Amino acid sequence: MTGTSSGPGGERDADIVCRQVRKVYHANGRPLEAVRNADFSVADGEFVALLGPSGCGKSTLLMMIGGIESITSGEIHAGGEPVTGPRREFGIMLQDPTLLPWKSAMDNVMFPIDMMRLSRRQYMDRALELLHTIGLAGFERAKPRELSGGMRQRVAICRALISDPRVLLMDEPFSALDAMTRDEMNILMLDLWQTYRKTAIFVTHSIREAVLLSDRVLVMRDRPSTIISDTSIPFPRPRDISLGETPEFNEICAMLREQIEVARSNGAAERGAAS
Amino acid sequence: MKDQPQILPVEGSVIEGPGRYRRRLITLSRQALLASVLPILTAVMALLAWELLVQQSGIAHSILPPPSAIFDKLLDFLGLLLKHAVPTTYETLVAFGISIPIGIVLAAIMIYSPPINRALYANLVFFQLIPKIALAPMFIVWLGIGAESRVAFSIFISFFPILISTVTGLQAVDRDMLRLCKAVGASDWQVLIHVRFPYSFPYIFAGMKVAVTLAIIGVVVGEFIASTEGLGYLILFASSRQQTDLGLAAITVLCVVGLMFYALVVLSEMVIEKFYGSH
Repeated sequence: MTGTSSGPGGERDADIVCRQVRKVYHANGRPLEAVRNADFSVADGEFVALLGPSGCGKSTLLMMIGGIESITSGEIHAGGEPVTGPRREFGIMLQDPTLLPWKSAMDNVMFPIDMMRLSRRQYMDRALELLHTIGLAGFERAKPRELSGGMRQRVAICRALISDPRVLLMDEPFSALDAMTRDEMNILMLDLWQTYRKTAIFVTHSIREAVLLSDRVLVMRDRPSTIISDTSIPFPRPRDISLGETPEFNEICAMLREQIEVARSNGAAERGAAS
Repeated sequence: MKDQPQILPVEGSVIEGPGRYRRRLITLSRQALLASVLPILTAVMALLAWELLVQQSGIAHSILPPPSAIFDKLLDFLGLLLKHAVPTTYETLVAFGISIPIGIVLAAIMIYSPPINRALYANLVFFQLIPKIALAPMFIVWLGIGAESRVAFSIFISFFPILISTVTGLQAVDRDMLRLCKAVGASDWQVLIHVRFPYSFPYIFAGMKVAVTLAIIGVVVGEFIASTEGLGYLILFASSRQQTDLGLAAITVLCVVGLMFYALVVLSEMVIEKFYGSH
């Protein structure tokens, strides 16, 4: 690690630690390995991207970290404790905004508070503040159907942040959006992260998105689903979208792309040899 | 960079001029008019053809009375018809009112308990294959000739569509939505009440629309078998005396009762949709 992004102290405490994490599904009686031996850690306040092709198991890995999927073998620790189920200090964002269609933007943001049976009153101001920061002032009472795709995903961001979680887990949150909205959301994400500084794991299959947003990029390959590289992204923060035009940025993207390509062709060759 | 990207309101959504709203209303009512004119016209034509056919062919009125004769009978015997409509309506209401919670609660239990689900599901499907009407006389044997046997039989044949459609609805919730619920630590009960139920309202109402018709059928069949009151009894009584016009007048009243129940379901659906709709 070059340490450009790791603050004055250089080394930071590990927040999330995955040790030899493995996940095996049983589909029609056949074992299917979704994640093989994931071994990495994420420092407190670090933004890490999990990059890989669709279906490589990166979402499964994220769900295991979030305590939503069970772990077949290995260990996951968060804040020093083993993860055995969902935790309140995790905020989650999924590819689909998953808003309740009959609830207003405001009530959707408050959904976790309601489910955790926390005092609504105590979090009302925070919900309003989040909606304002994210550019949804005036849309508090709008229903999801009255909002565009980008706006819905903004509501989902507010919902993930409402309980002030220590860790943000994001599963391809912008992959269903059009390219322009996606750029907009990336800028927003950079600003938000600058403001709130969470430990974050961001699953994506966009190389540029991964490099733009994160401090480190973990590349995952398919069959076997395993992490093949760990790259520090040295660009200082605050960043903005123009970073994507610099040669250094594109160099890193090209390098990551090559890693993915090599893994893919090796995988194809191995499978070819096996059959 | 600190300031946020400007967001424009989505067209035709939150901000909507009154003119636009009125225009939509006008188009709506014109559509509604067009949609209702044709079926009404068809029905009137059919009744007219019936009337003419009977008048011209000289079929005995005791076999097939013309609509005009049925209508006369309806007015003449309105008091009697309404008197018999009361128990039929009441029993249907009670039966339907009981089959709704039975169907919904059973569906919720089946969703949350895989063993109960496994134990019941195959049996319920098999049960659905029985021509349940055939069991009506058994209910009289078991529960006597009073209202209880008719209500029980009516529940027996009408709860099933509610159960099946509620099961479908409760399972229709998107996987990501359930993951989110799990992530925020929602309990099974919270997920059921706050997420699964509201999502399944359209399904539940679809089931209720089928069930309400079956509930009336159940009561009328019960009245056919053993009863001294009710529209089913009156229809049977009239036809046994070849008073076809009175029988058909009773059937007309039965149609009105059926329509009322159906309208009740549609109206409650509209109310629920106001709060939970739009998906």
